[in-house]
Amino acid sequence: MQDNPRDAEIERQLETWGASQSDAELSPEMRRRIQGILASSLTPVKPLPSQSRLVLMFLAVFAAGAAGLIAVMDKAGFHLMTGAQISWMGAILAGGGILFSVALAWRMVPASRQGFPISFVLALSGVGVIGGIALLFPWRTSSSFISEGTPCAVMELMVAIPAAVIFWLLARRGALVASAGLGAALTGLAAFLALTPLQTQCMFQQAPHLLVWHGATAAILIGLGALIGDCLGRFGPRVR
Amino acid sequence: MGETPIDDHELRNLMTRYQGADPSALDELVRRISPPLLRYFGASRVGWNDAEDLLQDCWIRIHRSRHTYRSSEPVMPWIYAIARHTRLDAYRKRRRLESREVLVASVPEGLHQTVPETPREQEDFDQLVASLPEAQREVIVMLKVAGMSLEEVAKATASTVGAVKQKAHRAYSTLRRALGKDRDHAR
Repeated sequence: MQDNPRDAEIERQLETWGASQSDAELSPEMRRRIQGILASSLTPVKPLPSQSRLVLMFLAVFAAGAAGLIAVMDKAGFHLMTGAQISWMGAILAGGGILFSVALAWRMVPASRQGFPISFVLALSGVGVIGGIALLFPWRTSSSFISEGTPCAVMELMVAIPAAVIFWLLARRGALVASAGLGAALTGLAAFLALTPLQTQCMFQQAPHLLVWHGATAAILIGLGALIGDCLGRFGPRVR
Repeated sequence: MGETPIDDHELRNLMTRYQGADPSALDELVRRISPPLLRYFGASRVGWNDAEDLLQDCWIRIHRSRHTYRSSEPVMPWIYAIARHTRLDAYRKRRRLESREVLVASVPEGLHQTVPETPREQEDFDQLVASLPEAQREVIVMLKVAGMSLEEVAKATASTVGAVKQKAHRAYSTLRRALGKDRDHAR
């Protein structure tokens, strides 16, 4: 901390300042009060599973949800897509699911080592989805662009919102801190889960439709999630 | 700081026993961890009574979150991550209350807090540290008051060692500039 020689004096003053704070002593009454409060609800707890197990838990729900919905929904989109489109979109959507699962699992444990920030997850998944759709699908629009797209956006929201609630209930096993990042991680994972069956169900496999009615809806949902998380962090309790 | 550093291996053992509902481990943890936590809260621009309230609130949060501690990880960054959110919540709550407060001409009897007397120079330096931006001040408090390492601060603040170093350097620059100004002013 003393790269600059002039910092030596500041370092000395900070040391003095730090030491002056140690004059504080916890009163025995206060200590007994804290011990009493905690002892009254002291029961054995099972530690959370490892980080990789938490990620697997989210991925299992993601995969089960996506597979279940694909099974019950129409598969028009699946038959319209080429092998390359299915493979690439499958990889992009699964990759997004993995990234958001990891980001969410990190947020369940205080002081967990976060390998990359949520902004990186958002940027990478956004580039993946936009790039994939723009490069893999034809740029055609029909005259009924809005009437064709609205049901897709509604369907995406109908899947993503309950999915976000389910992921939140699972994530509550940890110590969550309301923040924009948590909101984005939760809704991001739910949005990618909703995008997966929607891709195989949708009969309008054109880039403008997919970008606006699938991609932009997901982006709005993630933005809303981040906003709600931020508001709760500012005005509500941060730790559940 | 004149205090024996808390042995992490021992703390991990106590935390594991605490998770298993061992009351003696809980008592020992409260006894060992409370003083550094109280210093951390005390150095965070709150009054002394508020620091004790924050400590109590922090312990309740630690208690509720105790299942999220993993014995493979160091204890203090986990504790300080919870303490940090406790402090942030209190800070935001206080700001909300202050924005609604009505100024009175004089402080009512009995509301004066006893503040320990500090030398003038130290008081000035306290004010300089208090004037640092929140993120820089937090890092300085964790490094200098809590006695944490750069790695521990990075974990507690969900940040990287590089970012912590950067904040500390910025805090030093701010303090250096402020001290320079003070001296010029004194001349």
